Amino acid sequence: MNSEDVILKIQDLEKTYPNGVQALKGVSFDVKKGEFLVVIGLSGSGKSTLLRCINHLHEPTGGKIELNGKDITHVHGGDLKRLRQSVAMIFQHFNLVERHTVLKNVLTGALSRTNTLSSMLGFFSAEDRQMALEYLKLVGIAPKANYRAGQLSGGQQQRVAIARALTQKPEILLADEPVASLDPATCHTVMDHLKKINEDLGLTIICNLHFLSLVRQYATRVIALRGGELVFNGSPKDITNEWFEKIYGEGAKEVHVN
Amino acid sequence: MKSIIFDSLIFAYIFMVAFIYAYLGPFVVRGDEDQWVGLLPMIGLSLILFLILGAGLNLLLKRGRLYTLGALLFEAEHIKANRIPTPLTKNFWFYQLMIAFVFTIAVGWDATEIKLYELFGYEGLFGADGQGGALGIFLSLVNPNWQILPQGILAIIETIYIAFMATIFAIPAAFFLSFFAAKNIMAGNSVLFGIYLFIRTVLNVTRSIEPLIWAIIFAVWVGIGPFSGMLALMLHSIASLTKQYSEIIECVNEGPIEGIQATGANFIQTIWYAVVPQIILPYVSFTIYRWDINVRMATIIGLVGGGGIGTLLMMYQGQALWREVGCLAFLIVIAVWAMDTASAYIREAIK
Ligand SMILES: Nc1ncnc2c1ncn2[C@@H]1O[C@H](COP(=O)(O)OP(=O)(O)OP(=O)(O)O)[C@@H](O)[C@H]1O
Ligand SMILES: [Mg+2]
Repeated sequence: MNSEDVILKIQDLEKTYPNGVQALKGVSFDVKKGEFLVVIGLSGSGKSTLLRCINHLHEPTGGKIELNGKDITHVHGGDLKRLRQSVAMIFQHFNLVERHTVLKNVLTGALSRTNTLSSMLGFFSAEDRQMALEYLKLVGIAPKANYRAGQLSGGQQQRVAIARALTQKPEILLADEPVASLDPATCHTVMDHLKKINEDLGLTIICNLHFLSLVRQYATRVIALRGGELVFNGSPKDITNEWFEKIYGEGAKEVHVN
Repeated sequence: MKSIIFDSLIFAYIFMVAFIYAYLGPFVVRGDEDQWVGLLPMIGLSLILFLILGAGLNLLLKRGRLYTLGALLFEAEHIKANRIPTPLTKNFWFYQLMIAFVFTIAVGWDATEIKLYELFGYEGLFGADGQGGALGIFLSLVNPNWQILPQGILAIIETIYIAFMATIFAIPAAFFLSFFAAKNIMAGNSVLFGIYLFIRTVLNVTRSIEPLIWAIIFAVWVGIGPFSGMLALMLHSIASLTKQYSEIIECVNEGPIEGIQATGANFIQTIWYAVVPQIILPYVSFTIYRWDINVRMATIIGLVGGGGIGTLLMMYQGQALWREVGCLAFLIVIAVWAMDTASAYIREAIK
């Protein structure tokens, strides 16, 4: 692979929260176009912080982030909006607007390219509407387009969130424990959708996960954090028991999701 | 420290009351204000004396390991945890509280000039000649003069519209201000927080001045009538609604805000798409309730010339036309009941 395939380059990334917690202590890695990169690590190891620094929901306090060779470590105003448009995110608790319909939620993915007044009045372009409906179909929620988002089950809500993210026309999709509040069966449906999007649409995905069994099934590459530092970077099949103990601490046991 | 100050205040209060009563006799002397003014320096001095005395007594009690009221309220948790639980009557604070309470009741009885013989006396109830009196008024009230009903209905409609306009005008102002009065939105930096504190203070002051006072101010400003009443209610509504609105904003769910932010939406879009949907129903609910309250307040404000049924009521009451007053009172009861029921019903429906 040559360096042109690198879509995201992270160098010595640091994040210290205002309360003094040092959540990232100089993390470096590259993400190549089309990868399904999974981030693992104990609770509190800094996984969420890492993702949130990439799309600037949190501001990095040190190091460097490059997107397509462009420095995006500190961006503001219009640049920040463009960055967030091209780096979409889905969350553990879906973060949908529950009172709005499913379709309206998906359309919010187009907010960054809709002018403020039109968007307030609910006018989105015909293409955007078309696109929103297509992505709803893709994640299998089209029949529920006019339901209120709050009426859907967790798994369905996460698929709506995926459709919203896709409507942004992003280059990268960040997923912060997208299945942590779902039951095992639903969890696989959602992960399968992510896999499909990754393979069919060629969208680069960076995903935080808790279960190693899921990691082996879906990841093309894995990085592991421990105490805010990168301790593993490689293929999922290289995570041996030895590595497992290094990442999760001694005496840790693997649990499976079927 | 807090505990010592608190106890000294209580002791000083008890001493002071005892002293004044022993020295000056009961509050009956109130008629003679000059005497009070003359005594002020002495009272002030003795107050200081008693405060010092109270503090000293308190320290003495502390030395004697007695559990005082101040200690009960303000003592640090870890000291409190070491106290051995004792029955209520074995605690010093219990007697301290009881004495303070009894003294307060005694002074209160005196200060409110409670006179049971007036409450149950013949003259008050039936009048000196057995004709008028409170009972007479009451009988007229329950036997209303229906002839002024049309006039009354017009007046109460005016009252409802005064309340309505006050609410309508208050909504946009309160909506706008509420975002600046919400802590979670304004906590970002010190400039924003300064604005927040300023707005909060102005609102609290505005709210703490009764609409009745505002009505008098506006009556001087724009003349007696419905307009001044409306302005008074509007001002009060802006202050109250802003507070209620901003409290709703303060407990919105952050999740959707992050969700919308992460799509690259700008600030206004984020507010519109993530905050507004969460607050709109509670806003509507509080607003309808405010209208309901305003109808009641508009009636009161009318009494000082704010227009509507209150003004009419004042007029008839001034002429002691109690049967007419009864008719208006009936209308007010109906209107308030209807507004109350309707607003409760609507608020329930949109929940
Ligand atoms: N907003 C914040 N302010 C201060 N400290 C924070 C904040 N968010 C996270 N932290 C701290 O930063 C560290 C890393 O947290 P982070 O949420 O990134 O961990 P995580 O790996 O995502 O954990 P989990 O698996 O529980 O989600 C933790 O010690 C956490 O307490
Ligand atoms: Mg996390």
